[in-house]
Amino acid sequence: MKQWFGKAAALSVAAAVGLTAMSGALLANPYEKYKGTTIVVSWPALSHFKAAETLVEEFTEETGIEVEIDALQYLKLRDRQILEMSRDEGEYDIVSWVVMWKGEYVSKGLLTPLSQFFTNGALVDPQYDIDDIADAYLQNGGIVGGTKGYMPGKSGALYGVPFGAETSILAYRTDVFEELGLEPPKTYDELVSVSKMIKEKKGMGALTSRGKTGHQVTAAWLLHLAPLGGKIFDDEWNPVINSPEAVKAAEVLRTVSNTGPTGIPSYGFSEMSAAFLQGDAAMYLDSLKIAAMSRNPKLSKVDGKVGFALHPVGSRCGSETGGFAMGIPANSLNKEAAFLFVQYMTSKAGDKRMVELGGDPIRLSTLNHPEFVKQFPEYPVVAEQLPCADPDWRPLIPEWNELNIDVLGQALTKVITTDGPIQPIMDEANEKARAIMAREGYYAWSDYRK
Amino acid sequence: MAEETLITAGKAKTGGRTLTPYFFVLPAGIVMIAGLLYPVADAFYLSFYDWKIGTKFAKAEFVGFDNYIRMFSDPDVRESIWVTFRFGFWTILIEMIVGVSLALLLEKPIRGASLFRTIFILPLMVSPVVVGLIWRYLFDARVGWINYYLGYLGIEPQVWLGDAELAFFAIVFTDIWQWTPFIFIIVIAGLQALPSEVLEASRIDGANWWQQIFLVKLPMIRSILLIALLMRLIDVFRALEVMYILTGGGPGRATELLSLHIYNRAFDAQLLGYASAISVLLISIVFLLSLGILVVGNPMKEKSDI
Repeated sequence: MKQWFGKAAALSVAAAVGLTAMSGALLANPYEKYKGTTIVVSWPALSHFKAAETLVEEFTEETGIEVEIDALQYLKLRDRQILEMSRDEGEYDIVSWVVMWKGEYVSKGLLTPLSQFFTNGALVDPQYDIDDIADAYLQNGGIVGGTKGYMPGKSGALYGVPFGAETSILAYRTDVFEELGLEPPKTYDELVSVSKMIKEKKGMGALTSRGKTGHQVTAAWLLHLAPLGGKIFDDEWNPVINSPEAVKAAEVLRTVSNTGPTGIPSYGFSEMSAAFLQGDAAMYLDSLKIAAMSRNPKLSKVDGKVGFALHPVGSRCGSETGGFAMGIPANSLNKEAAFLFVQYMTSKAGDKRMVELGGDPIRLSTLNHPEFVKQFPEYPVVAEQLPCADPDWRPLIPEWNELNIDVLGQALTKVITTDGPIQPIMDEANEKARAIMAREGYYAWSDYRK
Repeated sequence: MAEETLITAGKAKTGGRTLTPYFFVLPAGIVMIAGLLYPVADAFYLSFYDWKIGTKFAKAEFVGFDNYIRMFSDPDVRESIWVTFRFGFWTILIEMIVGVSLALLLEKPIRGASLFRTIFILPLMVSPVVVGLIWRYLFDARVGWINYYLGYLGIEPQVWLGDAELAFFAIVFTDIWQWTPFIFIIVIAGLQALPSEVLEASRIDGANWWQQIFLVKLPMIRSILLIALLMRLIDVFRALEVMYILTGGGPGRATELLSLHIYNRAFDAQLLGYASAISVLLISIVFLLSLGILVVGNPMKEKSDI
């Protein structure tokens, strides 16, 4: 009996020592516990993400966590992700979404709040420094549930971290501007007058723009809406797309279409940027991605002749908030390993590495890094532009899809393909928008108060 | 006792004999039900719900006939139907005329006829997605060949895919380019199967070339023409890929055929229930059109007369 007791005691001591040794090993390497786990990432087949593949390999090498990448064309991404995330046990451990989808994903209960991981001291790298991530990017891509559900606010919570996020800047042909003795436009009035002058004097397209029916033409209009002081909704969800500011933005869009390269009403993003990169347009105003594209000899004939400037200012400064953020589905089976991946890719070191690999940075420390500033002339411009990035650039609500494509996408096509007065077109669109919002119950509170 | 067994056996035999044909059509029946009836019934069912992708279907709201009421008062749906009919009218009219004319020209064993025939049916072999891409680049306003060559004639570059009328012309033209060969093949097969005695007889009776075509050849292949027409008509309502790539339905809704409209509503605007209701309308239209054509001239009936 005594002997048995002694044996048992010895065994348990040995076990305890073993356990301590094991947990000691765990503490030595935060990744150890997840070694051999395979996580599946769903993201778009775009250049930033293509560049990230090398960093993903480095992640696996360093941590032992295997990563499978499912890269899809970005317009097909949402359907696939939603399907996968609405199953009981999904395939994906990480999804990368266009900022527009975040409200829909969260309202359908498809994402995991990141607070679950940020409360876990064993997972979070104390040097992660989330405040270094450009605020506009983090708020726009990651925070859901604030003011109006999609803007910053106290009721918001973090669901994702920006990765492949972007804002808008102006790119222009330094040679053309020099030849005509022009300065890059700082205001909207200048933009309009410069556009007309370039078309007249040089005969080339002035500002290239998207214009294809649907979300493309709406995106082009949004670029002018915020700086000119317009919005989609007022504070009570009443659509204001027929306001004087919104009509002015549509007028600018019409001028752009008339003075730009031939064919704007059929341009999507790629046709629009190609017109600039192949030398058929003197200016470009859209995603900052143009900077990297203009240096790519496969795409660009204008390398070395491109300057960058701030998005022109109307009644206020405002630029696009867009691109992607990534987070963790609610039905993922490897959430902690997935968090480690997100943290690694968006860490200070990861962000710098992304730039070296040809991706876009999300951190101020990267944008202000002296070496990068020397190498990439657009970085100081982007760093200066970011405080202007408008979190209310477009309403990130589930109904936005229908408004964007069915209502605005149609109305704005009419604006740029006809010559008639713009106000009635926007009035009609406003009524349609109101009907959609009424159908979805947005006016229940204001009706109730009456 | 023995007699009774015999009778039962006889009965079973009769019963078996009547069931046999059904047994043979069973596989086809199952395929029909699984591949055709089930999806259609499902679309019909879905059209009574407001379902959003990504939520459990059990949570979808039953909305009764709301989707249908909305559909019949929706000017966008009406416009789409109108575009589809206009598209169908112009493409089928021109394809029939050109296809039949080509068939009549190449019917005779002229030199190089087989070469021409092969060239003419090439577009038919190209996948619709590729057709869409090819023509999208040809019609491109900035770098397209069409504008490039028009430039030599002193014509200003046109925004082919960004102007309502030009874009409609572009999709009609592309469809004609791709589908005329289909009519051509069917008609030439019909023409070559015509009995030479009848043609000879008409020639002896003094029919000239025109009379031979309009009074003898075409009436004799009437049933084939009808089948070709019917198939093209159904195709028009199914056409999607080429327009999706060429214009995406734009500018505005100028080239948004009903099928593309359903696609855009279902997957861009995410209105699945509503899109299903429009699909039901699409099926009804195609069904009525097919029925109409069969009533006017049933090619099968004619065959059974012979």
